[in-house]
Amino acid sequence: MKALQWQGVNELAVGEVPDPQIRNSGDVIVKVRQTVTCGSDLHLIGGYIPFMEKGDVLGHEFIGEVVEVGAEVQRHHVGDRVVVSSFIACGKCWFCRQNLFSLCDNGNTNPAITETLWGHAASGCFGYSHAMGGNPGSHAQYIRVPFADVGAFTVPDAVSDERALFASDSASTGWMGADLGGVQPGDVVAVWGAGAVGQMAARAAVLLGADRVIIIDRFDVRLHQAEKYAGAETLNYEHDDVAGELRERSGGRGPDVCIEAVGMEAHTPGVQFRYDQLKQQLRLQTDRPAAVRDAIHACRKGGSVFVLGVYAGFVDKFPLGALMNKGLTVRGAQMHGQRYIPMLLDRMARDELVTEHLATHVMPLDKAPDGYRIFKEKRDDCVRAVFLPN
Amino acid sequence: MRRSTWLTFGAAGVGGLVATRAVVGRRGRAVPAASRSAHAVTVARPVDYVAAHMPEELADGGDAVEVRLREAPGDRGTEIHVRRANDEVSDDDIREALRTGKSRLETGDVLQPGVATTTPTMLNRGLRAVTRRGRRKGLL
Repeated sequence: MKALQWQGVNELAVGEVPDPQIRNSGDVIVKVRQTVTCGSDLHLIGGYIPFMEKGDVLGHEFIGEVVEVGAEVQRHHVGDRVVVSSFIACGKCWFCRQNLFSLCDNGNTNPAITETLWGHAASGCFGYSHAMGGNPGSHAQYIRVPFADVGAFTVPDAVSDERALFASDSASTGWMGADLGGVQPGDVVAVWGAGAVGQMAARAAVLLGADRVIIIDRFDVRLHQAEKYAGAETLNYEHDDVAGELRERSGGRGPDVCIEAVGMEAHTPGVQFRYDQLKQQLRLQTDRPAAVRDAIHACRKGGSVFVLGVYAGFVDKFPLGALMNKGLTVRGAQMHGQRYIPMLLDRMARDELVTEHLATHVMPLDKAPDGYRIFKEKRDDCVRAVFLPN
Repeated sequence: MRRSTWLTFGAAGVGGLVATRAVVGRRGRAVPAASRSAHAVTVARPVDYVAAHMPEELADGGDAVEVRLREAPGDRGTEIHVRRANDEVSDDDIREALRTGKSRLETGDVLQPGVATTTPTMLNRGLRAVTRRGRRKGLL
C-alpha cells in the first residue's frame, strides 16, 4: 500500500509499504478515508524528536472504515465508519480507569526510551516515533488499530467525515485543555495559539461557560476563524500589547485559566525568540517554551496553566519563580481521546462544535510532501492539510 | 526462568501480605545481599485474582527469584515484588517478565509491534538497537 514516509530530516516521500496485519485479537484494520497534518508532526519532520527511522509512516489523526476485525473485537464490524483516538490505550490499567488514556501502561511496545527520558513511559501513539511505540501512522491507505474496542468510535450518520476527523486528536486535545485546566463558568480564559488545537480549546472554554475567551496568535486568518467559529476575542501579538490587554480584560486580575497550544517550536518577537532558537539549533535545549513562559507570567495568582503543546525534553529560562510565588497550577498531557470523543461527536452532531473550516487544504496522499511544505510555511493561509489516501 | 512448582502463598486475607520464597534447594550462585536488586510493578487486579492467574513468565521462577504479592493502597490493585536470589536470571529478564505479566493480567494479552515499514541505515543503527532492547525492559 501507499504511505507517506519519513526519509530523513525534512525529507518526506510517498512510497510502498507492507499492508498492516492483525497482530493482537483486539485489533482492527481501518481503511483510511481522511488523515490530517498536525503541528506536532513538524517536530518529527524537522528532527527535533530524534527517535525516527528511515521509512516510518507519519500521521495520527484520522477517520476511516473498518475492513478487518480481530477475533476478540466486540464493538466494531466490517463496514463501520470510525474515528480513532491518536493515542493507544488498553482500557484496563489503572491509568485508563482514571480516564488518563494517554498514560496507559500497556499501549507502548517500546517503553524503555521514554521511561529512561521521563521516569515513566507514556502510552503509544500512531505515527509518532519509536519513543511512542513505533506504530505506523495514518498517512497511508490502511492502518492497524490495537485495542479497537477502546480507541475506535463509530461516527454518527449526522456527522460528516470532514467534521468527525478532528475528533481524533485536535478537538480532544483542545477540550482536554479547557476541562483539565479547570475552566469554570465566569472564568476569563486565554489561549496561546490559534491553530486547530487552540481554536478547539477556545471553543471548549466557551461551551464550558467561560465569561471571556481570548485567543492569541500572529496570523489574522486563524484569529478570524477563532472569532467566527469559536466565539473568542482575539489578540495579534505582533501588533497588540498582549500582557496589557489580558490584564485589562480580566479586571486587572489576569486570566483564570491559561491554555498553551503552541508547542516546542514556538515563535515570539524579539530577543527571547533568537535566544531560544540559537540554543535549540545548538542542541543546548530541545524545546522553545516562549508561549509557556508568557502564559505563566500572564496567569492570575492562584490560577491554572495547561500545556497542550507537544514538548520533548528540556528548556532553559523556565519561570519557576513565577510559578511558585504566584501559587499556580501547571499541568499538561497528551490527549485522552477516549475520554472525550463520544461527547465531542454528540456536540458535532448538534452543530455545537464545527471543525470543517480547519481543513483549508485537501489533496490526495501523493501530494502529501507538498502538503506538509504548505502547512509548515503557513503558505496560502493554510491551517491544516488533509490527505485522501484512497 | 526455570520451570518448577515453586509458588506457594500463605493465607491472604483482604489487606494481608502474601509472601513466597523458593522452596527448592539452592542452585546457582547466590546473589550477595548488598547487590540484590528488587523490582516491582502494580497490576490493576485484586490480590486473589493475581495469585490465581499468575502468568507463566512470573510463575516459572524456580529458586532464582523471590516473588511477593501485596495489596496496593488506594484501590490500585496488587503490587508484585520480585527479587533475584541468585545470578541464574538477570534484572532484564525480571523486568521483561513483569512488563508482559502485568499486561497479561490486565488485558489478557501483550501488545505486539506493527508490521515494520523502516529501512536499516547507519544513522538509525543505534535507535534500532535501543528499540530491540527497549521492547524487553519493563515499566519499572
